[in-house]
Amino acid sequence: MLKKKKIAVVLALLAAALIFAVPVCIKYSRGSKAYETSGYAMGTYILQTVYGENGREASDKASEKIHNLENEISWRINSSEIAKLNKQAGKGSTAVDKETCSILETSLDVAEKSDGAFDPTILPVSSLWGFGGGKPHLPDENKIKSAVGLVGYAKLEIGADGRSASLASVGSGVDLGGIGKGAACDTAVAEYKKIGAKAGIVAAGGSIGVYGTKPDGSAWNIAVRDPDSTDDKSSAMGEINISSGFVSTSGPYEQYFVSNGKTYHHLLNPKTGYPENNDIISVTVTAENGALSDALSTACFVLGREKGSRLLEKYGAGGVFIDKAKKVYVTDNLKEKFKISEDGYKLAD
Amino acid sequence: MFRKKDLLIIIPFLVAAGILALWFGAKPSYGIAVVEKDGKEVCRFDLSKQKTSRIIDIGGSMNIKLLLEPGAISFYRSDCPDQTCVRTGRLTKPGQAAVCLPGKVSVRVISDGNSVRKYDGYTG
Repeated sequence: MLKKKKIAVVLALLAAALIFAVPVCIKYSRGSKAYETSGYAMGTYILQTVYGENGREASDKASEKIHNLENEISWRINSSEIAKLNKQAGKGSTAVDKETCSILETSLDVAEKSDGAFDPTILPVSSLWGFGGGKPHLPDENKIKSAVGLVGYAKLEIGADGRSASLASVGSGVDLGGIGKGAACDTAVAEYKKIGAKAGIVAAGGSIGVYGTKPDGSAWNIAVRDPDSTDDKSSAMGEINISSGFVSTSGPYEQYFVSNGKTYHHLLNPKTGYPENNDIISVTVTAENGALSDALSTACFVLGREKGSRLLEKYGAGGVFIDKAKKVYVTDNLKEKFKISEDGYKLAD
Repeated sequence: MFRKKDLLIIIPFLVAAGILALWFGAKPSYGIAVVEKDGKEVCRFDLSKQKTSRIIDIGGSMNIKLLLEPGAISFYRSDCPDQTCVRTGRLTKPGQAAVCLPGKVSVRVISDGNSVRKYDGYTG
């Protein structure tokens, strides 16, 4: 009799321990030790979460490398390779390092395949509008017309040695703002790998790069910002689950201004010199390379859904296009990884 | 075999375990808002513990003010030309961040250990 009672007590204790332990274990596995840092580079805010004992080292090194990259590819920094390239426009070639050259090559490739919807030589136009650091304003119409004439990716040439570049016309200029944030994600992920971090995620503006497997083993869950929320603009309209790679989003909702009742955003069409106003309000692209995902998201925004989808096919990249009617178009290769989480959005047939 | 009497011993244990599990595992939480200026932390707020709304004056070159509410924080005003920070809206979940680039002020929400981070990152 006494023995049976003891067994009952032991079983009760075991059951109680299980009931208590399971949710607590789940909670603490989700909140495994992570090193979080933030900083500024590439004209944006960089947020890193790195897991593992050497998370801090990996994160610090990634920040340093991103700053080094910015010092070479930002046209705003006088001593950068891109600033020197721009100063030499129409005069001859400039030496560039391997990393800068690789970003220029990716830029040119996307420019060619998108028929100029993404164009790294957009500086004459983009500098007029003042987005990304200056005071955004509506430029004079004639100035825009003149500036558009100076834009054209065919003017940019990379030396056969892969260590030099040149611009054919005086007044032309390279602005890597449409690819730099993604390139920063490439740099960070490369450092996580090199240093041997367990896992990590870096967010630079609208671009994200992930590396390794999270401590709980689940896929990285990336929120796609709701482009049209009014009360809580930071909310997500959907989520993408990826185990590796890069994600970039382009939308007109973040950088814009209103002039004479009209809204002007920062996603400029290189051929018109004005913000692109088609029926797209957000494009998210996934790719195996951050520079590529960033450039493609810009190109796809300008191209629109049909042409944009065809461009993504050329790279085997995935895409989520949202139009003004809140219809969501997802490329076939992303359908199983993406889901809508906000009422009001509907998947298109 | 178990008798009804044994249940009198087992049930209190199970109820106690359930209460403890709810207390530790599923306590609602919004995370902690970390405010940084020029890359250095200037203050932090436990969003779960805010009972009222108030304005936090961060100042700086853009005269930034934050709005701290129960479970949320946002940029209330900034003199910056693009107003991207103000338009970012309310931050309510770990992983979210808002930033005033011209003012070099950022707010990010981190997990407080009780809060579950639904998203690893935000794109867009």
